Amino acid sequence: MIYAAPVTEVTIFGLSSGAVFALLALGLVLIYRTTGVLNFAHWAIGLMAVVTYVMLTALGLPPQVAAALGLAVGVVSGVLAYRLVFKRLGRGRQVIVILIAIGLAQFYSSVAQFALGFEQFTRLQPWLPAGDVHLGQVAIRASEIITAVAAIVIAFGFLVWFRLSRTGRALRAVAQNKEAAMLAGIDDVKYSSIAWGIGSALAALALLLVMPHSAGEQGGIITTFDVTPFGTLLIPAFGAALVGGLVHLPMALLGGFVFGLSRELLILAPKPWSDLRASMAAILILFLLLLRTERFFATRQELEALE
Amino acid sequence: MSLLRTRDISIHFGGIAALTEVDIEVQEAEIVGLLGPNGAGKTTLFNVISGFLKPDWGRIVFQGDEIAHLLPYERVAAGIGRTFQHVRLFRNLTVYENLLVAQHRHLSSGSFAAMLRLPGWRRDEKDARDRVEEILDVVNLRPWADAHPSELSYGTTRFLELASVLSLHPKILLLDEPASGIQQKEVEALGPLLKRIRDERGCSILLIEHDMSLLLNASERIYALDFGKIIAEGTPNEVVADDLVLESYLGRTRRATA
Amino acid sequence: MKVDVAVEPRHGSAPVTEELEAPPVARVARRRPTRGQLLGLASLGLISVVPVPFGDFGYFIGQYATIYAILGLSVVVVTGYAGLISLMPYSFAGIGAMATGIAMASWGWPFWLALPFAAGATVPFALFVGVTSVRLKGLYLAIATLTISNALGETFFTWETITGGDSGHFVARPVVGPVDFGGDLAFYLLCLGAVFALLFMVEGLRTSRVGRAMLAVRDNELEAQALGINVAKTKLVAFVLSGMIAGFGGAFLAQLLISVTPNAFQSPFAEATSLLLVTLVAIGGMDRAIGAFVGAIALVVQQQIFNGFEFFFAFVGIYAAITLIAFLLFRPGGLVQVGKILADLTRARPALGLSIIAIILVTNVGGAWLILSLS
Repeated sequence: MIYAAPVTEVTIFGLSSGAVFALLALGLVLIYRTTGVLNFAHWAIGLMAVVTYVMLTALGLPPQVAAALGLAVGVVSGVLAYRLVFKRLGRGRQVIVILIAIGLAQFYSSVAQFALGFEQFTRLQPWLPAGDVHLGQVAIRASEIITAVAAIVIAFGFLVWFRLSRTGRALRAVAQNKEAAMLAGIDDVKYSSIAWGIGSALAALALLLVMPHSAGEQGGIITTFDVTPFGTLLIPAFGAALVGGLVHLPMALLGGFVFGLSRELLILAPKPWSDLRASMAAILILFLLLLRTERFFATRQELEALE
Repeated sequence: MSLLRTRDISIHFGGIAALTEVDIEVQEAEIVGLLGPNGAGKTTLFNVISGFLKPDWGRIVFQGDEIAHLLPYERVAAGIGRTFQHVRLFRNLTVYENLLVAQHRHLSSGSFAAMLRLPGWRRDEKDARDRVEEILDVVNLRPWADAHPSELSYGTTRFLELASVLSLHPKILLLDEPASGIQQKEVEALGPLLKRIRDERGCSILLIEHDMSLLLNASERIYALDFGKIIAEGTPNEVVADDLVLESYLGRTRRATA
Repeated sequence: MKVDVAVEPRHGSAPVTEELEAPPVARVARRRPTRGQLLGLASLGLISVVPVPFGDFGYFIGQYATIYAILGLSVVVVTGYAGLISLMPYSFAGIGAMATGIAMASWGWPFWLALPFAAGATVPFALFVGVTSVRLKGLYLAIATLTISNALGETFFTWETITGGDSGHFVARPVVGPVDFGGDLAFYLLCLGAVFALLFMVEGLRTSRVGRAMLAVRDNELEAQALGINVAKTKLVAFVLSGMIAGFGGAFLAQLLISVTPNAFQSPFAEATSLLLVTLVAIGGMDRAIGAFVGAIALVVQQQIFNGFEFFFAFVGIYAAITLIAFLLFRPGGLVQVGKILADLTRARPALGLSIIAIILVTNVGGAWLILSLS
């Protein structure tokens, strides 16, 4: 890859990682506002998709097919998590819900570790076109651009669909007031499952876009860092979701870009500031938490419904 | 000098004035009632006096001191105790342990004394247990000492709450609908009980109550509230006959059925 | 002042009037240990002796388990007692471990001085997190502690002054008179002593003014305030105590690892270990000190028997997660609650109770033996 005009390069990285954060965050917000669970297992469920992809490509399936099947596995993992576990909780104590979500994160990530065989690195084949794209004098990896574009398209598409479709409306109704939704004939369990399914699909898509292409021409790598309960990207995704108070989808999308761009653009900053890269996300998140962003985006009724 | 005096207490929520220039006064060893339809602002007033809500403006003077800046636990230390409309107890603790928690302000040992089981801790624990033993007998909760609040009848939990708040040795007790949800026989016992608390402990009581017989029987004076304002004040007989008070109760019903 | 009221029992029986002959609820002053406590002490003694036939390897596992139990006790105080969700206990342990490493390797301090230093080093961090906990409710506190743990792992625990550069800190085992704690048995006994002392202390905290204030805050913050409890201070104290206990355990961790390597506490593995600790305590019984002990031992011992470090984590991850979820769904009181149920059952119907215990032991030991012989 040819280094040129660092600003362009960094901006594209920022947009691409921002888009990935956005996808993860949208999934988190959808699940949280519909079922009241902050899905700490979000990353681990996405891992299920990638692990499936790895195993299927190792068996010789074409990468695109493997990716599609991986996506399906991700969706199933998420829906199972809801149907088998969270559905039973009803309005359990928040501590218990969180502990269970954490337990699931550990479960799925440990399954992933087993499936991958404890290697330091696992190589992945790409399923998006490899090679470079030349924008004037700058050469960027094709997959980087496609990831950014695809993620943005999916994110916006999801938002539009959510706003306009009947399913989207039903999901919103369930989020607002479960009892009222049930009285209106909306099956709370069905739509909660849909929320978990779509949310997990977004997570799976995010990971499937990023991981098989993280090493450029050679495809991608998974390191042991990735096969942990929260991976490396879940925390900024929480941050992105927090920009919308955990309940506002468009703001979560924006939040994704805020976190993605800030992380990358800091590379260009003068020395003392650029060292903050590692803790940038943490500082932003603490700031958002103390700001209590949910005050701006959720009505009191919604907040109570979520407790 | 009055025990408790509020002046010009006002508070808004969104666009709604929950309380407007509320002035009330409670003397020592006095039982004062608060009357008013739902939403009149009675519990809001309690929240302001006990420190759970900050008023937009107004003053609260307790025993001659301004207390508006004090946090809820500091007001407890000053001598203000309160109960809640929906009984608030510690579900995961037994009745005995609930009462032990209520002894908090009488004890002083810290975490290190507890962890190292120093004499100071030992003394505190004995002190706390002695007090709880006494209360258990006085309020007749001994048979339930090892039970959890979920195993008790609603009336019994109310007595537990009362016992807890009395453990604070308050100088004034803010009781929020103590009779709601309990049986008639127990409601009738409440009036004499409140009077005994006043007489034997010199404790004043500010009482919110919808049960008219209890309110009128127990209170020496009554304030009537509606839409966040005091609309009447006086002896029970005076207030009950007051036009505005009747309007606020009957008028509402008339408008509701119209 | 006597109150004559009808006390209405909720289930069954006739209403009890004021002439009641209350069944004497014995409120014996707790001077003589109860039979249950003696049994508990005996079990502790028994468990302590288990590593002996396994020699040095057994002692190593014993050390690991007891140190994890100490870390678990820190979770008991902040999450079990005070109900505050902290996902960073291992980070606090890391602070203690690094403090010990620096004190002993760089400044030449003896272990006994490094111990309180390790505990004290966590205090500024604990205060910071404690202050945020006052303002942040449950879920948001979980995110905050996770974030702080991650940030520490990416910054603090990567700084060379803290980690001692590429080689880390070399920490020597203490020598007291004729006793050289470099020996596995000796160090195991030291760890055992430490965990028993802390168990004693944390359990004592529960029946005290401060401990009950924490339990109250966990259950119902508003009522706690209404009873005169300073909620903010209680939360701060919970975090500081919890941090200090974890820091104390971290000092022992440094001793266990001997060479405290630079990336011992870095992201994302530090977070994964924190999660494991929280899970272990939740399985053991979140709000009982003995629960931390039982949880840590039950899992660390059982799975450490399986060889391989990564295997250990993955297997424990699955096993612990399933156990955790099963417990949380059905018996939130964890092993301690299950233990009590079993104990009651055995008292009432000895044959049934003992056979269940036997079945549990056989399946666990048998399964372990089976997997060991197959690998």
